[in-house]
Amino acid sequence: MLDFQDMFSELFELEDQLDKYDWIIEYGAVAKPVFSVNKIDVNLVKGCTSNLWVEKIEGNIYCYGQSLIVQGIASMICDWYNQASQNQQMNFSLNTLTDIGLAPLLSMGRQNGVANLIAKIKTL
Amino acid sequence: MRDYFPFFKRRQDITYLDSAATSQTLYTVAEDLRDFMLDHKSNAHRSGNSMGTWVDQKYHLSKELIGKWLNINHPEKRIVYNSGTTQGLNDATQMIMSAMPSGVVFIGIDSHHSLILPWTQSGNDKWKVVFIELDKDGRIDLNDLEAKMKLEPLAVSKVIAVNAVSNVLGLVNDLDAIKKIALDTASVTIIDASQIISKRQVNFSGFDFVAWSWHKVYGPMGLGCLLIDPIWLNFNPVRPGGGTVTSVSKDSVTWQTNSGKFESGTQNLAAISTLPKLVQWLIEHQNDIEVHDISLAKIINDQISLAQFTPTSKTDSGLLCLDPAVGTVEDYTMMLDAKNIMIRSGKLCAEPLITQISGHGLLRLSWGCYTTKQEIELALDSLGEIHARLSRHVQRAV
Repeated sequence: MLDFQDMFSELFELEDQLDKYDWIIEYGAVAKPVFSVNKIDVNLVKGCTSNLWVEKIEGNIYCYGQSLIVQGIASMICDWYNQASQNQQMNFSLNTLTDIGLAPLLSMGRQNGVANLIAKIKTL
Repeated sequence: MRDYFPFFKRRQDITYLDSAATSQTLYTVAEDLRDFMLDHKSNAHRSGNSMGTWVDQKYHLSKELIGKWLNINHPEKRIVYNSGTTQGLNDATQMIMSAMPSGVVFIGIDSHHSLILPWTQSGNDKWKVVFIELDKDGRIDLNDLEAKMKLEPLAVSKVIAVNAVSNVLGLVNDLDAIKKIALDTASVTIIDASQIISKRQVNFSGFDFVAWSWHKVYGPMGLGCLLIDPIWLNFNPVRPGGGTVTSVSKDSVTWQTNSGKFESGTQNLAAISTLPKLVQWLIEHQNDIEVHDISLAKIINDQISLAQFTPTSKTDSGLLCLDPAVGTVEDYTMMLDAKNIMIRSGKLCAEPLITQISGHGLLRLSWGCYTTKQEIELALDSLGEIHARLSRHVQRAV
């Protein structure tokens, strides 16, 4: 039951922003089983410019996003959430991601996508 | 012209290519805003003291200069201050609906939501909305407009509502031809000028309503203008209140006879106080601004033969939208931001058009009079690099 930052310490140690995006994209690309997520309205995360779907399959939460970066960050969130304690899950918020240091990701998240993803995950 | 804009000295790290959303600020505007707040804050038209008179003078001088800039006679009867384009377009719609109980409005499909929604969401089902399609080049199709107008009975009230330049396509619509069609069909006209006003000298005479925001013209946030044909002074204000009247009794009112009739309440006087110097600067630099805009449009049209991006069209002015072949626009926007290149992406508040041309968000590069050729080239090079980077990820995933 790792903290978010501990689980992704490799990302948090990177300094170059493009390197961080590369890492996030790479993470999303190998996440499984993204193609099993049903791309139906009930699984759609509202408010993303590109589409992002999230679904609970056999007890674990998975996502599929059209944006490579959003797919990456969403996969990180799902993977962390799947192993987190109930207490960690309850306390999880957008602020947990602040230390990644990617302002656009978070500003976008505050308005719509990532914030809504976190809210949706908590309902599954 | 870049030296007139302190932002570029203060933020040398930034490549700013989002001027269609908001422009950077002329130095006099920043100085005048500060001076107003620190030395001159007072109200116009009702103070009766020297500070109030100073504000009155700025208010009236600003309208005189806008008249000179746009070649408009009697600016005190034609220029209405408001909070921005959106308020101007909403007020124009409400004024028309209060003057004419029913009719048909013909709206360009390339319009911003702020031109569409006041009509489609008015709750007034006596006004029918008809969208005008674009021609093969992406400009308002005048044949489609005329054909659709002919389908409506002659006696029906008609409104033509179009933008001068689409905030997605950057194409200049043929306003002279639209004016002629309006004249021939006795139609009321509304022009959203927000994307053209900072770039080109346009003859706005003959249109009923022309709206723009000053924050896109190197000016302050929270201030717009609605240019009206003086005939509309014969109608009551849609937002009556302080400043719109000359006298009031318990059961009667005498409205102002100038455009102040439509400026209820205290206006954004801090912003208005910046206009005299800003508009004077625009008058002095209008030709250079126009030449620069045309030259950047040519450069970007010539250089955007990048195979990995599909431009929505060639551009005439101010902006270019691109549809990337790999990844989504969010990926590009975030990665450009990592290189301190500020662009905009998404559906650009023009979803009816976006639905027709792509169905998903686009990347938009937009420029101002301060933008350099090198900045455009840097952005195009960076887009190419990011495309290569994203393509590698996609290939590895496959």
